[in-house]
Amino acid sequence: MSDNKISPHSLNDLKNTTDDCLANYLRSLSFVQDNSKLDVRLAVGYVAVIIATITFVADYKLGWEATKLGTAFAVVAYAILNGVYTYWMWMVEKGLVFEGTKGSKRVSIASKTKKHDPTYYLTVTTSSSTNPLEIQCPFTTWFTSDGYFVAQPFQQWLATSVGVIGEADQKNAAKNEKEDLFVSEAELNGTPSASGADSGKGKGTKRGKKKS
Amino acid sequence: MHLRQLAILILGLCTQLSTPYMLYKGLGVAANTHSPIVGVLSGSMEPGFHRGDLLFLWNRGDTRVGDIVVYTVQGKNVSIVHRVIAKFGGGAEPLSVLTKRDNNQGDDRPLYAPGQQYVDREKDVVGRVVGTVPYVGYLSLVMEDYPWAKVVLGGLIALSVMA
Repeated sequence: MSDNKISPHSLNDLKNTTDDCLANYLRSLSFVQDNSKLDVRLAVGYVAVIIATITFVADYKLGWEATKLGTAFAVVAYAILNGVYTYWMWMVEKGLVFEGTKGSKRVSIASKTKKHDPTYYLTVTTSSSTNPLEIQCPFTTWFTSDGYFVAQPFQQWLATSVGVIGEADQKNAAKNEKEDLFVSEAELNGTPSASGADSGKGKGTKRGKKKS
Repeated sequence: MHLRQLAILILGLCTQLSTPYMLYKGLGVAANTHSPIVGVLSGSMEPGFHRGDLLFLWNRGDTRVGDIVVYTVQGKNVSIVHRVIAKFGGGAEPLSVLTKRDNNQGDDRPLYAPGQQYVDREKDVVGRVVGTVPYVGYLSLVMEDYPWAKVVLGGLIALSVMA
C-alpha cells in the first residue's frame, strides 16, 4: 500500500502505519468514515490554543497590569480544556482507529499494542454483533523484515477475521492464508505468475516457504 | 483525511508551544507578578547569588526587612536584585523600601532615578525571592545580551517537536 519504508523495530511506527493502512483499506471498500469524535478533539484542542494566543497578544499589547485578571481566567480555561482533551483521548477515543458505516452496517475499530510485543491487537465493534470482537495478528504478517508494508496479507487477515469487512471484500475473504504458501507449477519452473509483484512480496513475508 | 491529519499535527505543535507559555503565565498570576522567574545579572549579592542563577519570585504577603527583592528602577528598564534594609509607610501612605546590595557599604540610592529616595513596594517591586536554581539562568542572560538567541531557541524547540 505504501512505498515508504519504516523501521520494523519501532512498535510505534508499525502501529501507526498499520492504522493508516487500515483506514485506507476500509475507505477503499466504500465505508464512509465517521470523523465526529476526531472533530470534537480537534475543536477542543484548537479552542485552547486560540485562548493561549489571545492571552499572548493581549499581554503584548496591553501589558501585565491591565490583563492580569483576564490572564487568570485564560489560564484556568486552558487547563480545563486540556483536561477535557486528555479525558476525551483517554476515555472516548481509546485507541479508535476507524469508525464508519457502509449501508446499514456500522463498524468501530480500536487498535493497541503491548510493550515489547510485536503484535497488532484490534477490538472491533459492529452493529451486527453485541460483543466486541478481539483479534490479533503479528506485525510480521504484513511487514517485510526491512520495513515495507504489504497490503494483501493484511487485507486478507481483516477480511477473514471480521464478518463485516469480509462481506464488503469477498475476494480477500475467500482466500485461504495457506494458499500463499504453495507455489504454483509455473513459478516453480521459473515463469512469473499472473499476479506478479504482489504475490511475490507475499511470499517474502512468509519467508518464502516453497514446497516442491 | 489528510487535512485532518495535518490539523492534528499542527495542533500538536501549537500545544507544545502554548502549554509552557500558559504555565509561565499561570505562575505569574499565582505569584502576582509579571515576571515570576528571573536570572541574576550581576555579582552584587555574592556569595548568596551568582551571575547566571535563576530566581523564583513571589509577590504576595508582607515584605520584611532582610528580604531579597527584585525591583525596577523608575524610568529605566533595569531590574535589580538587592536586599531590603528599611521600610517606610505601609499604613495611609504606600509602603516604600530602601534597598542595598550585600557587597556594598552604602545603600542603593545612587542607583535610583534622580530624585528617587525609596522603592515603591506596589509599583516598582517585581517580587520577593523565594527560591533559586544555580547556573540555569545563564540561558536568559544570553538571550538578553544576544536577542538573536531567542530566535535560535524558538527554532530549536520547533524542530524538536517536529522530529
